Amino acid sequence: MTMKRSVHTAGLGLVLGLGLVPVAGEAMAQSCTQKIGAVLPISVDWGRPIAETAKFVVEQVNSVGGVAGCNIELVLRDDQTDPKVGVDAAKALVDIDQVPVLLGSVSSGVSMPILTSVTVPGKVMQMSCCSSSTAFTKLAEQGKTDGLWFRTFATSRVQAAVGAMVARDKGYKSVAILYKNDDWGQDIGKIVAANLEKLGIKVTAQVALNDAQPSYRAEVAEALAGQPEAVYLALYPTEGTAAVREWLSLGGTQNMIMANSLKSDDFRKNVGIEYLGNAVGTDTSSPRTPSAEAFVKRYVEKFGGQPNGPGLANSYDATMIALLAMQAAGKDAKGPQIAAMVAKVTDPKGTPVTADAAGFAEATKILAGGGTVLYQGATGNVKFDANGDVSAPAVVWSFTNEGTKEDTYIPLEEVDAFVASMK
Amino acid sequence: MIGILSYLVFFATLASILAIAVLGLNLQWGNTGLFNGGVAAFFGAGAYVTLILGGQPQDEHLGGFALPYLVALAGGIAAAALLAWIVGRLTLKLRHDYLAIATFGVAVAFENVMRNALWLTGGAQGLRGFERPMRDLLGDGLNYNSVFLAFVLVLLLLVYGVLQRLAGSPFGRLLRAIREDEDAARSLGKMPARIRLTAFVTGSAIMGLAGGLYGTFYAFVSPQDVLPTLTFQIWAMLIVGGAGNNRGAIAGAFLIWGAWTASGWALSRFAPVEAQLYTGSIQFILIGLVIVGMLLWRPQGLFPERLVVSQSGKPGH
Repeated sequence: MTMKRSVHTAGLGLVLGLGLVPVAGEAMAQSCTQKIGAVLPISVDWGRPIAETAKFVVEQVNSVGGVAGCNIELVLRDDQTDPKVGVDAAKALVDIDQVPVLLGSVSSGVSMPILTSVTVPGKVMQMSCCSSSTAFTKLAEQGKTDGLWFRTFATSRVQAAVGAMVARDKGYKSVAILYKNDDWGQDIGKIVAANLEKLGIKVTAQVALNDAQPSYRAEVAEALAGQPEAVYLALYPTEGTAAVREWLSLGGTQNMIMANSLKSDDFRKNVGIEYLGNAVGTDTSSPRTPSAEAFVKRYVEKFGGQPNGPGLANSYDATMIALLAMQAAGKDAKGPQIAAMVAKVTDPKGTPVTADAAGFAEATKILAGGGTVLYQGATGNVKFDANGDVSAPAVVWSFTNEGTKEDTYIPLEEVDAFVASMK
Repeated sequence: MIGILSYLVFFATLASILAIAVLGLNLQWGNTGLFNGGVAAFFGAGAYVTLILGGQPQDEHLGGFALPYLVALAGGIAAAALLAWIVGRLTLKLRHDYLAIATFGVAVAFENVMRNALWLTGGAQGLRGFERPMRDLLGDGLNYNSVFLAFVLVLLLLVYGVLQRLAGSPFGRLLRAIREDEDAARSLGKMPARIRLTAFVTGSAIMGLAGGLYGTFYAFVSPQDVLPTLTFQIWAMLIVGGAGNNRGAIAGAFLIWGAWTASGWALSRFAPVEAQLYTGSIQFILIGLVIVGMLLWRPQGLFPERLVVSQSGKPGH
């Protein structure tokens, strides 16, 4: 161990030309700590597993010696999905804990003010697992993110494109759209509608569903009025269950296309599998590569359940890529230096590494030798574009009696080509 | 060291902005007895209109008039006042809990309009494209935040000074008279309806100012900023600080916001690793306990209202 680490430390020093005196390993590795920050909605039920996953990654990386010889300490702060609280927490992490990297947040309404008022002014790299709003892309296009913004959640474009593809392949002539009335739902609803129309499929209605309503009868009736052949659902399980039940009871079609948010056991049980025979879903993750399988296996070992919640694989990749980039940037690197290294650890021409401790250790060696790495993550081969967005391969899935199964796999190239043809 | 200073400047800025909003609520509730359950709407009107007027043009939504900052801010204040005037005309005949419910409804409606009127507000994605004023001159870092804090503090002191004078003036006495016994005030030839509307609109305009500053500070606003939580937070600040006392209102804002953020920070730093994931929930319990404890043991707040003699009672004056 000692020898390995001193070798890599030496290599790093040489590669970066920082003139760091290579200190022989173990004692140093234990004595220094590098903090990174995370602002996540821990107090929300689905937010906690996202944070747990990030912590899990940090544990694995620490088990193989941490980053640049330092133990990583993940300082977790709760944002309560309140922008004020999230921004304050982020500012405290950046100013007081001096973190060079901030993970978070989930909600775009929290991530955005953190980006505009904390991380960009403070020159800190921000990597979100789960913010989907297309507003970030526009902000980056206007050059307002200084290359400090990344997210491992494919923008709604991928998901919406695959949804439209499914409608085309199934031969539906008319589709109604029900979407959750938040930034994610509004985005995806709008893009799906545009894609469908481009494909010559009639969009009979686009109906927004607000959270926590006791009944969605009025909304469902509005969507039914155009007598669509199929319905596209960009909903979360709670309102999805309520709306789909009412949809079916009012005689709506069982031809459903679902966004990945409905890939939920609760939704399947509460609606009833007998009504979901013609329901197909889309998702961006691609458990194809060995590293993605390793993620699932390790997750099950660690938490005793499948990684089924929203954003878990994305949180895993966000944390791992951030740490890899820190490793590539070397000791005491600042946000912009680390952000510049992200391309080096997600290089399609680089050496593939898996998404676990062994993969991290391997990447460390390759980076120390001046090479680049292709991180094969829990969401597939992650590759960021100039705006910090990822594209992703997609899968089409459907429900079974026990859970879900994958029907088709759509490779990254095909997704990208389709998205491009929709522009 | 510089980091802590930088954070404190940031913290003080937001606390001061919230304190301005609490002062507005104090005028309405503390002095006049108007239960405004829709603080978030007036705060939000100020934030949205300031950013729409002062922002750079965007394709997706209205706005981007790129007006000079102070004009934009004044527009935000005017929007909050206008909203308050309309709401006030419709609802101020209502008393106490009815007024609270009606204004709460206004706030919920406001949030929903902001969420759905894509052409106007950018919908749930929020309103972007605002450049913070004088950024070219001051850069991005501590300098900028310090100057902005000074600007906010000047406004806070200004609002405080005006409200202090108001409370001590005959008009302030009239507000309290209406709060205590409207019929008695009317029997003395006063017009409670008009005075109530004046106080409501003025208080809401002050909240609009706070909202405009908030939007400026973040250079962004979304429907998530104007949820009912905000109304609750502003109320908690006033209750803890002491309704009817302007100094209490400011102290309450700093204390509650301080407790809100410090508890999160302390838990993330000192709680054992296994408890880290539960800090959010623990924080909610702590804040709830502070407010409940306050209501139980010191319902008048930390700085109780002091009776003000607004005019010398001596004969011959």
